[in-house]
This record gives sequence, structure tokens and C-alpha cells, in this order.
Amino acid sequence: MFFKKYSNKEDGAIRFYDLHSTRTKILSIIIFIICLLIIIMTLFPIVWAFLASFRTIKDFNNNPSILPEVFNFGLFVQTWKELKFFNNYINSFIVVLGSALCAIFFNGLLAYAFAIVKPRGYKIVFGLVMWSLLIPPMTSMVALFVNINKLHLTRSFIPLWLMMGANAFFVMLFKQFFESLPMELIEAAKLDGAGYLQTFLRIIIPLSKSIVMVIIIFSINAAWSDFLMPYLILNGSGKETVMVRLFSFQGSNATAVEVLRAVVFSIIPPIVLFIVFQKKITEGATTGALKG
Amino acid sequence: MVKVNKKGQINHRKKPLIQKRDYIGWMIMLPAIILFAFFVWEPILESVRLSLHTAKGFRIEEFVGFDNYKRLFQYPTFLQALKNTFVYIIWSLIIGFFTPMILAILITETVNLKSLFKVGIYFPNIVPGLATVLMWKYIFGEGKTGVINILLSYIGVEPQVWMNNTLLTIPIIVIILTWKGAGATTLIYMANISNIDPALYEAATIDGAGIIKRIKHIILPSIFSLGKMMLILQIISVFQILYEPLVLKQGGPNNASISIMMLVWNYANREFNYPMAAATSVVICIILIVFSGLYFKFTKTKKD
Repeated sequence: MFFKKYSNKEDGAIRFYDLHSTRTKILSIIIFIICLLIIIMTLFPIVWAFLASFRTIKDFNNNPSILPEVFNFGLFVQTWKELKFFNNYINSFIVVLGSALCAIFFNGLLAYAFAIVKPRGYKIVFGLVMWSLLIPPMTSMVALFVNINKLHLTRSFIPLWLMMGANAFFVMLFKQFFESLPMELIEAAKLDGAGYLQTFLRIIIPLSKSIVMVIIIFSINAAWSDFLMPYLILNGSGKETVMVRLFSFQGSNATAVEVLRAVVFSIIPPIVLFIVFQKKITEGATTGALKG
Repeated sequence: MVKVNKKGQINHRKKPLIQKRDYIGWMIMLPAIILFAFFVWEPILESVRLSLHTAKGFRIEEFVGFDNYKRLFQYPTFLQALKNTFVYIIWSLIIGFFTPMILAILITETVNLKSLFKVGIYFPNIVPGLATVLMWKYIFGEGKTGVINILLSYIGVEPQVWMNNTLLTIPIIVIILTWKGAGATTLIYMANISNIDPALYEAATIDGAGIIKRIKHIILPSIFSLGKMMLILQIISVFQILYEPLVLKQGGPNNASISIMMLVWNYANREFNYPMAAATSVVICIILIVFSGLYFKFTKTKKD
């Protein structure tokens, strides 16, 4: 049963013909068990956070055990209401939605110009975009914040949306994909009299569904997890995102279990996203890193 | 219109100065160019400008040349942060560099539940950074109710103070970073291992090489060449560590875990000294450009 599938093994040092020996069989079982243990270790912190968020603070502080005494789901609902987390969820969803749209539209258009339209002099812009891949956005955060302040755009979602429209990594992913599209279709559209913008919206985007999906997922996750810029821009404005709210527990008198419940609230949406799109996400993770 | 002459070259003289394609092309690029200029390019220049001035709040006051940098390099906390960064790098070499390689080799050799292993190992990657740190804060909690302490009590080990031990703060942060980041690197190594031609293993088997030898002579050289690039990416990310020391111990105990990026945070959000924050950013930026340059050099030589 366990070894049946090994005849289809495609990669790795253990080949199907090695399994005639008992030693290799034992080795394979040991590796399997180690991997199981690793996965348990990897998932343990998240599972623990979920379990701990069902506990009362008394139970948490006094009872040295991993499992809660009772699963009190009511506490969960109570904290959700008390902390008014719903508002933060709505704010985060607004940020995430706008960011994903901007990520597709602006980066996609730029990559379309780089890959297909290629106006004279585009290489200068392309070079500049490539250069900005070298510089992590975190390092120019202070100056950017000063600029946003000068334009009186703080306490607004707009800079957070538009910021995702200037992502060199997404431009690269788009460009590589567009270059692999069949040129005949684009030429045909041109002969039919479609303008450049029409070609982009009617031909390129529908043909690029898979990369659009990858970038939507990546930008949703990035926008949801981003903390630094939302904190600088939205803190104290009443428009705090989930991450900004989570940070505000620092130095507040919230109890450990309340913080853990907030953590659980903040990781549920990414987990749902991951479970639904696990294949796309793990594939995107390797292609992006290898080619980008 | 474009005309082709006898030699098959495009005749440039008859082409109008600005073609429709150029005009529309630039119009298409314009929105994104504006965004890049505002969010990426201009802030870099602004950082440099800001770092050469003094300011009151957001208003720039006077040009002071490199004074801010001089002050920064004489600031004891900066030197501590710089020293910490090297400790971070050393620990992330010990813990973070080899873990994904080992994981990749192990998971590649499984068949049953392989896709579960792949997905599971990547899972922590999608947990937001801030949530990760808050969660681990309680896992490495002090006293008898900290999770690790509970687990240790099963094998009879006394509760530890973990984060309050200056020697352990940085290694713990690196463990957290590895937990979150190793999965992505593991998947990249695994993709690399799958690309190895199976004929190599068969040839090695005929030459009498066992499984360990095949891993040593076929798989390891292959992932080590990729490892060089991963190493530089890892160092680049170490220079940007911020959430972990900030949330766990505010850079403490006694600045033992303060990172350079946290110094920027403190300048900007506690002292509202934006020029000093900018100067620190510029220093980080220069260091990172050097490392990124190395990265691109490696990727280039690999493609050749």
C-alpha cells in the first residue's frame, strides 16, 4: 500500500528500483515520519493559537496545558463584539479590494507597454522599474510618508490603493507572461481595427487569466498583511485596518487571550484564501521567485 | 509609413518623428509612471535630500551636509544595531540557510502525502507578519504557562525566561523568521531538484552510488548553486527586520535585539526626527544595493 505509489516517483535520489532492498524501504518510512513531524511542528503554532483563543484568561494564566479546559465559543463572539473588529474587517476589505484592482490595472498596463506596444524609449522606463526592484520599499517609507502628508492624503485609503499600482515585481510577472502570448492574436486584433487599449482589455487580459489570478492573490495577501504604511497613514483616523488594530494591542491592557483572539481574527481570511487557492499560491511562489 | 530598403533594413528617414504607436505607448505607460515616480523613485531622492537637512516636523529647515550621518555613526544605539545585524545574519545562516535545503531533500523523497507536505510547509508564509510575531510571543512565553515551557515540562526541564535572556533573543527571532519563511525557499529548492535529469541518478546507480552518495553528488551541488542567491536574498531580508524585535521586546532587553530598521522606526515614530530616520534609511539602502548587485551578478552568471 505505502510503497505502491513509489513506482511513479519522478524526482529525488531514491528511485523506484531502489525499493527492492529492505534498507531503502525502512529509510523511506523514516523520511515519511520525519516529514509528518515537520508538518505537525509547522502547523502547531497556528492550531495552538486557535485553541488558546477559546480559553478564559484565568484558564490561560493558571493552567499549564496546551488544550483548553472547555471550548467556549461564546468568548470568541464576545471579544469580536467588544473589540468592534467588524469595522476593521470592513476597512481591510476596502484596502484589499482597491489594492488588487490597482495592482492589475496599473502594473498590467505598464507591462503591456513593455512587452507588446514597445514605444520608442520604453527601455529607459523599464530600466528604472528594474532598478526599483533592488530597493526595498521599507527604506524610503519615511520620505514617502512625508510626501503623502504634504499632499494631505493621510487618513485616506487612496495612497494605500495606488501604492500597489507601483509594484516592480508584479510588472515583471506580467511582462514575462505577456511575452509568451501568441502574437498572431494581437496582430489579428490590430487588423480588425482594435486600438491599443481595446486590445489590452479585450484580448490580453482575457488571455492572461492565470497570471491575473496569481497577482490578485498575491496583492490581496500583501495588502491584508501590510502594516507599516497603513499604520502611518490610518492610525487614529477611525479607518484602521485589521493589522493596525492588532498593533494597537501593544501596550494596551488587553489580556493575552484577547490578543490571541484578535490574532485568530486576523489570520482567518488569509487562511481561507490559501485553502481555496493553495495550488495557485504554491505554484506562483516558485515561478515568481525563480524568474523574477 | 515605414519602408524597407533593398538591404532589408528599415528606412528610418521616412518615419515621422513621433509615431502613433509611440504616442499611445507613452500614454499607456503614463499612469504607472506617475505612480512609480510618486511611490518609489521620488521618495528615494527625497530620503537623500531629507537626510542632508534639519527639519521641524515635516518642514525642512536648513542644509547641514553630512552632519546627520556623522551623528548617526556616533550614536551608540546605531552601533549596537549594526552589531546586532551581524548577529542576526550569523544566526540566520546557522538556522535559516540549511533548514530549507534539508526540508526540500526530505520532502522530495516522499511520495505519500507529498502535496500535503508541500502545502503545509508553505502555509506559515501567508500568515501576516504581525500576527506571526504576536502568536510566537505567547509560544515563547515566560513562566510555566508558556507553550514551549509546557512542552519542556513534559521532559522535566525547568521553565525558561526565553526572550528576557539577551543571548536567546536573536536566535528566537531567527527561529520565528525561519518558521515563516523557510517554506517558500523549500518549494524553490524542490522545483530545482525536480529539474534534475533522472538519467543522472541512473548513471550514478550503475556506477554503484548509493542513495546518500547520489544526494551528495547530484542533489547538493544543484541546490547549492541556487543557495548562493537565496543566501543574498536572506541577508537582504535580515537588514529589514522590524516587526519581530519591535513587537516582542521593543528591541530589548537592553537593545539586545534592536535592528537598524527599528532605529528608523524609533526616529520617525517616537522622536519625529525625520531627517535622522531618512539618513538611517539611506545607509540601509546603500548596504542593500551592494547586496542586490551581488544577487543580480549571481543570477546573470547562472543563466550564461
